[in-house]
Amino acid sequence: MIGLAPPEYDPAAPTTAETLPIGATATVRTYVRELFQRHRRAFVLLIGANTLAVVASMVGPYLLGDLVENVSDSARDLHLERTIGLFALALAVQAFFVREVRLRGAMLGERMLADLREDFLVRSVGLPPGVLERAGTGDLLSRITTDIDRLANAMREAVPQLAIGVVWVALLLGGLVVTAPPLAPAVLVAVPLLVVGCRWYFKRAPSAYRSESAGYAAVAAALAETVDAGRTIEAHRLGERRIELSERRIKEWTAWERYTLFLRSVLFPVINFTHTTVLCSTLMIGGVFVLQGWIGVGQLTTGVLISQMLVDPLGLILRWYDELQVAQVSLARLVGVRDIEPDAGDASVVPQGRRVLADDVHFGYREGVDVLREVSLAVEPGSRVALVGPSGAGKSTLGRLLAGIYGPRTGQVTLGGAALSAMPAEGVRAHVALVNQEHHVFVGSLRDNLLLARTGARDSELWAALGAVDAADWARGLDEGLDTEVGSGGFALTPAQAQQIALARLVLADPHTLVLDEATSLLDPRAARHLERSLARVLDGRTVVAIAHRLHTAHDADVIAVVENGRISELGSHDQLVSADGAYAALWRSWHG
Amino acid sequence: MIGLTLPPYLLSRAIDDGLRPGDQGALAGWVAALFGVGVLNAGLAIMRHRTMTRIRLDAYFRTVRVVVEHATRLGAALPRRVSAGEVVTIGHADVGVIGQTLTVTGPGVGAVFAYFVVAALLLSVSPLLAVVVLLGVPLLALLVGPFLGRLQGAETAYRDRQGALAAVLGDLVGGLRVLNGLGGKGVFTARYRHGSRQLLDEGYRVGSSMSWIQAFGLGLPTVFLATVTWLAARMAAQGTITVGELVAVYGYVAVLVVPVSFFIESGYDIGRGLVSARRVVHFLNLEPEDFTAGARGEAAAPEAPAPLRDPVSGVEVSPGILTALVSARPSEATDVVERLGRFTPSPATWGTVRLDAVALDQVRARILVADNEADLFAGTLRAAISGRRAPDERTLARVIDEAVAGDIVAGLPGGLDARLAAHGHNLSGGQRQRVRLARALLADPEVLLAVEPTSAVDAHTEARMAARLRAARRGRTTLVTSTSPLVLDQADVVYYLVGGRVSAIGHHSDLLASHPDYRSLVSRGSVQQAPAREATEQIAEARAPADHGPPAPQDHQNPRPSAEPTHETLR
Repeated sequence: MIGLAPPEYDPAAPTTAETLPIGATATVRTYVRELFQRHRRAFVLLIGANTLAVVASMVGPYLLGDLVENVSDSARDLHLERTIGLFALALAVQAFFVREVRLRGAMLGERMLADLREDFLVRSVGLPPGVLERAGTGDLLSRITTDIDRLANAMREAVPQLAIGVVWVALLLGGLVVTAPPLAPAVLVAVPLLVVGCRWYFKRAPSAYRSESAGYAAVAAALAETVDAGRTIEAHRLGERRIELSERRIKEWTAWERYTLFLRSVLFPVINFTHTTVLCSTLMIGGVFVLQGWIGVGQLTTGVLISQMLVDPLGLILRWYDELQVAQVSLARLVGVRDIEPDAGDASVVPQGRRVLADDVHFGYREGVDVLREVSLAVEPGSRVALVGPSGAGKSTLGRLLAGIYGPRTGQVTLGGAALSAMPAEGVRAHVALVNQEHHVFVGSLRDNLLLARTGARDSELWAALGAVDAADWARGLDEGLDTEVGSGGFALTPAQAQQIALARLVLADPHTLVLDEATSLLDPRAARHLERSLARVLDGRTVVAIAHRLHTAHDADVIAVVENGRISELGSHDQLVSADGAYAALWRSWHG
Repeated sequence: MIGLTLPPYLLSRAIDDGLRPGDQGALAGWVAALFGVGVLNAGLAIMRHRTMTRIRLDAYFRTVRVVVEHATRLGAALPRRVSAGEVVTIGHADVGVIGQTLTVTGPGVGAVFAYFVVAALLLSVSPLLAVVVLLGVPLLALLVGPFLGRLQGAETAYRDRQGALAAVLGDLVGGLRVLNGLGGKGVFTARYRHGSRQLLDEGYRVGSSMSWIQAFGLGLPTVFLATVTWLAARMAAQGTITVGELVAVYGYVAVLVVPVSFFIESGYDIGRGLVSARRVVHFLNLEPEDFTAGARGEAAAPEAPAPLRDPVSGVEVSPGILTALVSARPSEATDVVERLGRFTPSPATWGTVRLDAVALDQVRARILVADNEADLFAGTLRAAISGRRAPDERTLARVIDEAVAGDIVAGLPGGLDARLAAHGHNLSGGQRQRVRLARALLADPEVLLAVEPTSAVDAHTEARMAARLRAARRGRTTLVTSTSPLVLDQADVVYYLVGGRVSAIGHHSDLLASHPDYRSLVSRGSVQQAPAREATEQIAEARAPADHGPPAPQDHQNPRPSAEPTHETLR
């Protein structure tokens, strides 16, 4: 190993576990081929325009070569005006096509990028709900934030620029061979050095730059966090810790900066040295040829100028090549999402009735580890069932099984006799809705936030839903009514308003069965009274399975199931359970004082 | 940069002395010199690059260091004084810009020298050409410069939109679970597509303006080059200058572009750098909030644990016991904690002195406010719980058990060494709450003021947390705000706030019995008013002796029947 070794700590090493698959090389290749084929026409046009631009750019050196030839021949008539005219024309042509190349390159890049991100979105959204619940959104989010960003650079710039650069180099070399054939070998003298230098560099550079920028991001993130959490830092007296952390992050980052500097310290001289070598070798070898009378001074001038023009496209290729390598890694992560089988389901499975039944269900997230065992539970239409139990006991998992998010490992969960896991996810949603404790308000208009529950609903229906949850008053007070932008960055809704929106969505979606998963904040005793009334109205007439945090919710239910350690340990009405004097009764007594 | 001016000169000598007279030796000599200078230039260039990088890094980390130090000094005052966005700009952009700007210094001086060297060389060739080139190049740079500025503008607009679209996508994925539960993905997919198409159009616009700039950027200098070459060629034809000099002039023009465009760029850099520097300086000039009533830090803190009193509400936190605070409006209870924790100006007292007269660091060292919005930092779970301490495994295990956080540790891959995302986003609300409690318990402050420490967990867990909190804080001073009977029942004394003032004081069971509004507040949803009331009264009677004032020591040895009732039974 020459010189510096890369730093040991790598800030770019993934911190969130890869919970979603990464695309195999073959998948990535297929995808890239598809992408190229979709944009074949644009590529052909780009390369055509580029060729014309490069050819026009060679007119200048050719004319100057002519001029030099004539001057050194002491020719009286230089045809200066004609030369200038030709040159101006060539310049105009070149400028026109350069514009074309840039424009087409940019457009092609943008289109590919748009394709890619929309593709990815469709795939992510289409992931089966179970996969997402299991994997969490962390990995998906990190793929979105970092990988799409990295690919954006590659698609917008690297791919078109590299295509341009490669064509450019080839044409210049071709031009050189045509105008001054003996000079071509002189240019090639420097090739081995360049190749060795670049191979060395590109083997190390992409990952090093990735680590460097991750290190930089870590410094900025630590700083932002420190500033953000001023109160916590003061309360817990964490100031010194934060300074230490910041120092450490800076050290890690600068270590990578030093390493990439070292890489550049090798590459840049190699490139500069190559340029000098090319210049000197064409001049020396060409000079000897001129002295021998094999070529003219003009040809030499043209040759030297063209060989110098190689600097630009070579720089272009070197500049963008590593972006492409980085992009490949990111692409594999994005394409990996495509490897997951999209949600299927048999649309012909239709429930007959509304009874939800879990029959001897076993379920586990990991092979051999069952989270739920021998669970049987009947939820009668219109009844209220409360699931209570300590965290981690499996009540949330049971709720998700009853909502058809997961399919049981053995046993069956059926709605009106139809197995939920056999139905398509969107089909299940028409009957059973799962309400999380997250009241996510999407960035967008208030209308969009409601429409998601019933696509195509009229404004009057939206207002009726808002009215049903006592939200119509404040919603009418908004400056732009339903068009008001809400969510992060938009109009800030209070937590209570966000809850009302969540409830209004339920009114619109109108499923006959609801699974309220830890929807405690819906029932938070701190929430205003009218929220409870709204909720009662929404729940009225529906089957409700509530994962209850607060005991009064359980108290009101028709059936209470105490879930402990993956089993239903107690089942019955409030009074039955209290008189049975088990765990629920003990809890109730301490709750009730 | 002066080095850059040599190759054209050497090139011209090689042509004039070597090629034209046909002197192979002279040609070889000049080419060798050219090669030598090329190598030298490569060396100089990389040295310059290295120096510039070092300067940039040095500037960067010096700035980050002072900003971080100042941020920790500002503490709780910080979020109120500066908007988060502003600080993020400092972190992500300003610091970098300042570093970048400083790299202007070295090459800037070099650029000036290079300009004059070229001037001298050109004067030796032809005064007319010298005038044309020396005035023309800056003029050209001024013409092309604004284009580049415009491009940067268009790029910024594009980036903003790109950022917005990324935010939409992030938002969409963030809410994907909601969509999975309710349906309606189509609406948002369509909206994203729409945004994506808009960005595409914006991208076309950037591409278009960029393509014009590049065409011009290429055209203008070449036109200029052609003009100069044409002038020089005429002179060469007339014999005023040699062929070698003709080629050299061509080279000088090309070389001169570097220092001049550098000047233009650095002008832009310096402008941005100043804006950034101003923002950082403004930040550094912020002073911590000072709401000290009298002379700051003059009163000595009480030697021994002393009661904290809030005259505004009438709440008193007595040493050594667990006090609870109940209020129909949570903000009223929080206000009390703010005052007792010295986060707002108040006449609160600590023992015999006013709280705000005691040195702040003494207050912070002995009184810990653990609020629900308290941040969790990105890093390992172990670090998050440890806070400023470096506890051993036993201690960690103890506080994790006390905060009923064992299942969190067991559920994360890697256990205590699992990584938390920023703000603990990879944990649920209830899990975050328990990690916060573990951190506060580990800090083991003399006085712990905890705001709603159990509001996001289920009843089973809450019962355990409340019982274990009581045990963990035995003999220490603790205040919790809560409306949960499971927590209130553990408290030695409960303050019931109405309208921000204490309305009743007593044990939970007494208050349940004597205050119907208290009763309905804490056991909301209970319909069996009458029978429950009877039961409560019976229990209250049974417990009556232990409920007056701070508990006697034997209370700790003989836990009341209700101490951790569910914990044992549920296992």
